[in-house]
Amino acid sequence: MSQKVYITGLGMISAIGNNVPESFLSLTQSKTGIGKIHHLTTRYKDEFLAGEIKLSNSELADLVKDNNPALNRNSYIAMLAAKEAVINSGIDTTDGLRTGVISSTTVAGMSKTELYYKELFEKDDHLDVLDTHDCGDSTERIADYLGNVDYVTTISTACSSAANAIMLGCRMIKHGQLDRVVVGGVDALSKFTFNGFNTLMILDREWCKPFDENRKGLNLGEGAAFVVIEGENALNLRKGKALAEIIGYANTNDAYHQTASSPEGYGATMAIQQALEMSGLKPTDVDYINMHGTGTPNNDLSESKATIAVFGNQVPKFSSTKAFTGHTLAAAASIEAVISVLSLQNSMIFPNLNFTTPIIETGLIPETKLVNIPLNTILSNSFGFGGNCSSLLFKKV
Amino acid sequence: MVKAYINGTGCISPQNSIDSEWFFDDVNPAKGDYFDAIEPSYKEFIAPNLLRRMGRAIKMGVAAGNIAIQQADVKKVDAIITGTGLGCFEDSERFLLAILNNDEQFLTPTSFIQSTHNTVGSQIALIMKCHDYNFTYVHRGFSFESTLQDALMLFAEGKETILIGGIEEHTPNFIILNRKAHKFQVQNPDNPIWKSTTPGIQLSEGTAFFVLNKTKTEKSIARVDGIQTLYKPKTSDDIWNKLQAFLKLHDLTLSDIDVTLMGFSGDVNFDSKLQELLPAIEKESVAACYKNICGEYHTASAFAMWTGTKLIEKQSLPKALAISDKSPSRIKHVLIMNQYLGINYSFMLLSQC
Repeated sequence: MSQKVYITGLGMISAIGNNVPESFLSLTQSKTGIGKIHHLTTRYKDEFLAGEIKLSNSELADLVKDNNPALNRNSYIAMLAAKEAVINSGIDTTDGLRTGVISSTTVAGMSKTELYYKELFEKDDHLDVLDTHDCGDSTERIADYLGNVDYVTTISTACSSAANAIMLGCRMIKHGQLDRVVVGGVDALSKFTFNGFNTLMILDREWCKPFDENRKGLNLGEGAAFVVIEGENALNLRKGKALAEIIGYANTNDAYHQTASSPEGYGATMAIQQALEMSGLKPTDVDYINMHGTGTPNNDLSESKATIAVFGNQVPKFSSTKAFTGHTLAAAASIEAVISVLSLQNSMIFPNLNFTTPIIETGLIPETKLVNIPLNTILSNSFGFGGNCSSLLFKKV
Repeated sequence: MVKAYINGTGCISPQNSIDSEWFFDDVNPAKGDYFDAIEPSYKEFIAPNLLRRMGRAIKMGVAAGNIAIQQADVKKVDAIITGTGLGCFEDSERFLLAILNNDEQFLTPTSFIQSTHNTVGSQIALIMKCHDYNFTYVHRGFSFESTLQDALMLFAEGKETILIGGIEEHTPNFIILNRKAHKFQVQNPDNPIWKSTTPGIQLSEGTAFFVLNKTKTEKSIARVDGIQTLYKPKTSDDIWNKLQAFLKLHDLTLSDIDVTLMGFSGDVNFDSKLQELLPAIEKESVAACYKNICGEYHTASAFAMWTGTKLIEKQSLPKALAISDKSPSRIKHVLIMNQYLGINYSFMLLSQC
């Protein structure tokens, strides 16, 4: 059980870039990917902003080099990000070690289902969406795209999904069930989620302002991010290179409300505390927190209070990077895991964009400019509907 | 290797499984090419203010979870882990149709809120005030299997009592569309499910929940010894070899397995590998089936685990499940060999405790 688990490969596609190098450039230039809606078909396209991937489905198909008509946007972006992570890690899935794919998604194939659903009753043209609508579809597409995958599963715990995929991957390695796992999450933007969040009245019509007193809500984004994680035994065997170590994780439930976080951030506090406990670190050892920070009034206040509950008056430097990518739902935690590793590798804290006024009740001030500073330990939080709270701790290697 | 004890079960299925006395007598046939779950009167299990807003999958899940918890007689659990292939499909469809029919206007959030796949797990957490580990797996024919795998790891990590469950619901439109895509068939009564020569399943739905305990107590009904999933095995030989290794890991051979519950779905394209394995299984064990009475759905393996638990408890293999005239002299070990779409295969091993 004591085997260490390392991140050895990164892959990511979102509004701020089609791969990790492009994403890094956007982050260092404080360049948001959120803007006018181009690809999503919605009557609100001129009223709201979104963090869309800047490629059409046919452009994505070209990148994936697969014209299978059954593939949807969710699968395209998942396959691209997973492949990038595998290439980046240098693992060879044919070498006889046990490789798993643990992915996560919330609406899966909905971006395609919603285009054809009514037509399905009249015509036979798009009945394949019945086979690709579910959450397992993109995971199996990734597995088949990578080849020689021994284990697959998929998690859906709303906006904390990818954190749980990362956590499960770590546990399966520690339990000796797998040698390495491609873990992460994916969610393509859909009219379904857009309207869902809109009816909840938690979308900001302008750029989201995480942790700002005058924040009005979130901007939705879309994306996929995967990291390759390996046990130290497998990594040593192939003499691979670690990018970061995962030293703590925890999953708790707020058990307060189906969609809202408890005002005092009870579940979040426990998740952070338990992740710290597992790592054996003290709160003061955390150098930076990549917050969930969606920009909704409820989340940011609740998360701020949880942060104060754990760190007291020594709150580490923190920011939310959701004003770059938008809230990518199931992919958020893996996108932020990639961003956290980039922070560790480059000794950089990426800014919390659009912030001007601290929340009166807490007074917390995020980093608003790119900060160059050595970082050893990063905490990353992700919370979701259903009270799901997850925290991950990454350490520089 | 960590094992788990089954201390409580709750099952809602097309059969009368909600009645704890029912033991596969008076089996309900399919309604043509599909089954509907028999739903209980929910007010026994769920508070009326909650019940009003819940979709069917949520009601079925919360009720089955509640029954399992009552049977195990526990007040709290250390983790809640659910598995579902399609989640709260009724709510998803309702919100989607509202969007499409009203051009994205006049929407209310309730069905969107409840459409999230983790709704059942989080509703149970809310009702039980359980702040602990909460996970939802959504991978096709591995959705329920993943809950069990996770629970066994959590026991090794120190948890004591865990609630797991599989949940699936269908809707009238889901049936209409999948029928249109030729995914179903009416089972020919002269051709049993394990001998199908034609494509098409009998779609179904249901939920089965289990309270698992790390240590044996007076409530323990059966023991879970292990679980393994196989993704896209190429041949029946692959499955056979993996099965031998799986049993060996538990110091068993096939001849120790008193009953092998096999996941024949009635679709020859998906069942062919299990059909090839059937003679070898029958040679050393007693083969039986379950999808002839529960139908096919992503989490039918949860029904299979409920069935396996019942067989161990009652020490008898009911006629409704039998494939041959052979009957086991005792039921100490039950092996479940599930398959879903001929892609997701799994082994689950249950034992008398």
